[in-house]
Amino acid sequence: MSSAAATVSEHGFDAYLAHKRRRRINNWLLVACSLALLAWCFWDTIMFDTDWQRMGGVLGIGGTLERFLLIDWSLLPKLMVPALETLMMATLGTILGCVFSLPVAWFGAANVTPSKYFFYPFGRFLMVLSRSIHEIIWALLFVGAVGLGALPGILAVAMRSVGFISKITAEAIENIDPKPVEAIRAVGGNQFQVMYYGIVPQILPVIIGTIIFEWDINIRRSAIMGLVGAGGLGLVFFRQMAMFNYGGVTLVVLAVLVLIAIGEVVSHYARKAVI
Amino acid sequence: MMPTTTAAIPSMPAAKRTWSRYRHPESTVRFAVIMAILAFLGYSVAYLNIDLSRILGAFPRLVEILATRYFPPDMNYVSDADFVRSVLRTLEMSLLGGFFGVVCSIPLAWLAARNITVSKRIAYPFGRFAIMSSRSIHETIWTILFVTVLGFGMLAGTLALTVFCVGFAGKLFSDELEAIDMGPVEAMRSVGANPLQVFQYAVLPQVRVAFTGIAIYTWDVAFRAATVVGFFGGGGMGWYLKRTTQQMESTRVAAILLVIIGLVLLAEVGSGWLRKRIGKMR
Repeated sequence: MSSAAATVSEHGFDAYLAHKRRRRINNWLLVACSLALLAWCFWDTIMFDTDWQRMGGVLGIGGTLERFLLIDWSLLPKLMVPALETLMMATLGTILGCVFSLPVAWFGAANVTPSKYFFYPFGRFLMVLSRSIHEIIWALLFVGAVGLGALPGILAVAMRSVGFISKITAEAIENIDPKPVEAIRAVGGNQFQVMYYGIVPQILPVIIGTIIFEWDINIRRSAIMGLVGAGGLGLVFFRQMAMFNYGGVTLVVLAVLVLIAIGEVVSHYARKAVI
Repeated sequence: MMPTTTAAIPSMPAAKRTWSRYRHPESTVRFAVIMAILAFLGYSVAYLNIDLSRILGAFPRLVEILATRYFPPDMNYVSDADFVRSVLRTLEMSLLGGFFGVVCSIPLAWLAARNITVSKRIAYPFGRFAIMSSRSIHETIWTILFVTVLGFGMLAGTLALTVFCVGFAGKLFSDELEAIDMGPVEAMRSVGANPLQVFQYAVLPQVRVAFTGIAIYTWDVAFRAATVVGFFGGGGMGWYLKRTTQQMESTRVAAILLVIIGLVLLAEVGSGWLRKRIGKMR
């Protein structure tokens, strides 16, 4: 508003109108270009790439959907243990992710980093690396390193959560009140005491909130780690898929939903208790 | 300042007091919760049969494998025209999925925002449930489901990304909507505007900038997910990743991974730059 008023007072009303018209034309051009791009994407991906004949029309899709909707309830008792395994993997992955993100956050927080020119960019790079690689790719890499089983799944979940936890932690460290730190330094506290008494109490609520949030996300991540043989609901999902038992697949998806709903309720109350 | 009773009796020394932040019921509850979490962790380690020494060994081993098997990344493979085309398709899928996801999630977020929802009884739980269920199921599971129903190809991948974006953007949108200033909304309501008019004239102007930022961020996240959607038959570069991993062509996998990391970094830098510019327009 203030810039518009300034334009009016400096160059008169006509200039203001011209400015406004130019902006509107620019906006329309932007919208038109985006729509054209989207239309081209739509044509290229959906019209050009899809094999409509093979899909078998509405009847074929309806038939497949019907097989999904006939839920196979007999699988239900066999889902309890995998659901617990998924929960365990998510929890272990989150805790391990916290352990890994401690040094990363320490390196990547500008005010406590050991060296601004080497460790700070390194810590930031590790954060971006962890977030940019999808958990499936992490899992594939770790299967090569430690073999099949629950461990690569947990490590993949942990590596994926490092980025988020350490980024939030580093930001919390950068925003702390420097006075307690200075006070502890002034009375002769060493580096460890500065961290333990000066920094940790200030950032603890934020970190615990973040960890609970990440745990919630990690439940859904660990639900697909059956791909690498990590067990849990993911393994049941892939097995049911391989057996073409679509009713069972639907039940597994519902079980994941219930598990995450429980996780969301728990994390809601846990965060309330912490903050 | 005030003389206490213990100080008044000179023969009795004051008892040494230890200070702690939490008193009896709180401290006991905290201790119990921490113990319970530790017990659960210990039990999980035992139950899942995890060798803790292998966790630390995993990283040197990962580096060793990367150095020996993956090391010279086969850059010829990724400069192939077909691969470049698949990268382009990944980009297209992420754009389409992000666009449709954002378009679908705005009305859902409107229903799922507690303060401006159409009806608290029906629409609010419906919107919440729709957003939560599309968020809870991982995007790869969505991809597999869509591939099963619709067949291989980019249609399934695009739809999976759309559902993923509905969940992702819907949550952020509804959080944003719940934080708006209710003054204009009440003013519009009191002059008899219908819910659509309230949304258009009282809500949308307040959240337009934030929504644009969230939409760009959604695209960024959708692109990250789009790189692996092809792994399960959803089209795009994930398909190449699957093929090369299954054929153990590690140098090619390394090249593809490098391309993915580079592209994701580019997308992140680009979206960060755009969001910063849009934030300035506020």
